[in-house]
Amino acid sequence: MRFNDAVVGLVFLAIAAAMIAMTFSFPAFPGQQYGPSLFPRILGAGIIGCSVLLMLRGWREHAAGGRWLLLDGWTSQPRRVASFALMLGAMAFYILASEPLGFIPSAMLIQLVLFLWFGVRPLTAVIVAVGMTLLVHWFFSSMMRVPLPRGILDSVL
Amino acid sequence: MGAIATAFGLVFDPYVLAIIMGSAVFGMFVGAMPGLTATMATALLVPVTFFMAPVPALGAIVTATAMAIFAGDIPAAMLRMPGTPASAAYADESYEMTKKGQLDLCMGVNLVFSVLGGIFGVAILVLLAPVLAEVAINFSSFEYFWLACLGLTCAVFIGTGDPLKGLLSLFIGLAIGTVGIDPAAGQPRFTFGNVDLLSGINFIPTLIGMFAVSELLRGAVTMEATGARIQQAVGNMFAGLGAVARRYWKNFIRGSVIGTVIGALPGAGADIAAWVSYAVSKKMSKEPEKFGTGHIEGIVDSTSANNSALGGAWIPALVFGIPGDSITAIVIGVLYMKGMNPGPTVFLQTPELIYAVFIIFILANLLMFPLGWVAIKSAKQILRVPRNILLPVILIFCMVGSFAMTNSLYGVVLMVVMGVFGWLLEEHGIPVAPLILGLVLGEMLEQNFMSSMIKASGSFVGFLDRPIAGTLGVLTMLLWAMMAWKALPFGRRQPVAA
Repeated sequence: MRFNDAVVGLVFLAIAAAMIAMTFSFPAFPGQQYGPSLFPRILGAGIIGCSVLLMLRGWREHAAGGRWLLLDGWTSQPRRVASFALMLGAMAFYILASEPLGFIPSAMLIQLVLFLWFGVRPLTAVIVAVGMTLLVHWFFSSMMRVPLPRGILDSVL
Repeated sequence: MGAIATAFGLVFDPYVLAIIMGSAVFGMFVGAMPGLTATMATALLVPVTFFMAPVPALGAIVTATAMAIFAGDIPAAMLRMPGTPASAAYADESYEMTKKGQLDLCMGVNLVFSVLGGIFGVAILVLLAPVLAEVAINFSSFEYFWLACLGLTCAVFIGTGDPLKGLLSLFIGLAIGTVGIDPAAGQPRFTFGNVDLLSGINFIPTLIGMFAVSELLRGAVTMEATGARIQQAVGNMFAGLGAVARRYWKNFIRGSVIGTVIGALPGAGADIAAWVSYAVSKKMSKEPEKFGTGHIEGIVDSTSANNSALGGAWIPALVFGIPGDSITAIVIGVLYMKGMNPGPTVFLQTPELIYAVFIIFILANLLMFPLGWVAIKSAKQILRVPRNILLPVILIFCMVGSFAMTNSLYGVVLMVVMGVFGWLLEEHGIPVAPLILGLVLGEMLEQNFMSSMIKASGSFVGFLDRPIAGTLGVLTMLLWAMMAWKALPFGRRQPVAA
């Protein structure tokens, strides 16, 4: 998936403009000439400079027959689009579910679903999902003392 | 002398040795798997090393990356799929050798010259770093400001195919670095009232997102390419090596020198070192027509170069705190987190740490020989691990690793956001390495810039007053002028292809 450089430039131009606008709310310190807003403003100007050059380049490319949005081959294959979405979905699921469910159930579930979707044999999928989850839990929770969320297994662990 | 003895004591500790051994195996595996890079190995290692003392933490990173850069050669020769980008330059050449039935020789050369190249890079590091540190100790904020500018400019100029997009990436990284409390006045910036953002954008979840999650997103849509099968067995790798070494020892030296120099230049790492030295080898060769047909000469150059680049990259990282490649950028981030500010003062205050890094580097390169031999022999089994099992497991590691950095879901959220952002950037041909360099160096650059501005009371001449600062400044501005000239439409000799 690739937008024309003009679109990319426009997006970063807007972000940089917003960034510079925000620096005006930073307080100035009396007696100090150079405050916390100086460096971000320089960076914002740099981003704007790059964006303008990118937009010029993209505009020329478009005028020469380039498209605004180029899609890769995989975006026309529903299965691959689903794979991509599933990978992202797995991360979103972990963010939403790991606190209430706990690390162990959510990690197992994520691996199991991804394994089965990507065509791992069910038995292998179950063994690896359970084994890896317990291994990671043992390493980070017991060895490294990371407070992984316990969730529904709170009473057991 | 006392510091060296202490350093030996620090390294030759059973716990540290076990960590080194473990990360060596890990590095070999990650490097040998196509699609998993040495940088990714480092990114995944960092959450684990976060809980360790500095020496085992640095040892793990040094060892894993050295192994990964070598191990990338294995699938390059066997499957024509480079295990890491550093092996891409000669993957075709290696594969042609395999097709001619010279897999044994190719693997032997890769192993031996990777080890030798690695040791060459370390030797330069050991000789040069303390000398440079003595010079650097006199640097003030002006010198550091220009040095950081020069380093970042090099990163954009050499390290990327498209300088404009590299520059944009760098500015974005520096801008992300300004989130949080500003280093000069303590004013919160761009935090949107969020408590987590007050401490800044946490470096490691960002790193894991940019280097691992974006790779997982790319991997998810190319999942079919799994379960590679290798036909040829590896026999005696060392037959005929003597002849190659006698004939091409000059290539080894040249490759190692090029590798070390390119490694030491900020922003350009092992992959670029391999490409450049392969091209130089072809240009200087007496038989350039043989290149591309399975000729060992270019492989000697480039396999030495990519391993020597690793040592080279540590020179500016240890001496000035300016990373030579994306791996040392990570290392510098780790050092800052451990409360150690990389720079010449480390050589004075904790020299044993510097010596320990040297010892680990040498140890890792020596360890590469037996472990690499085992890895080549068992490549059949390693490369059979299917990607459809590997990628979901890596995803779990990424999420737990990011969580562990903040002990909250903030780390995971940041990782996902940065992963998607990094993926989008790369889809649009914007490299992420300058962004990471910018993020790491942002605070140091701003601090030195602000104190220089205040010292010089805003006068530009003040920035160039001191001799070394002046030289660095003029050099940097010459580079900027060159870049600007190239970017202008009339400054270009040939029109660019769209």
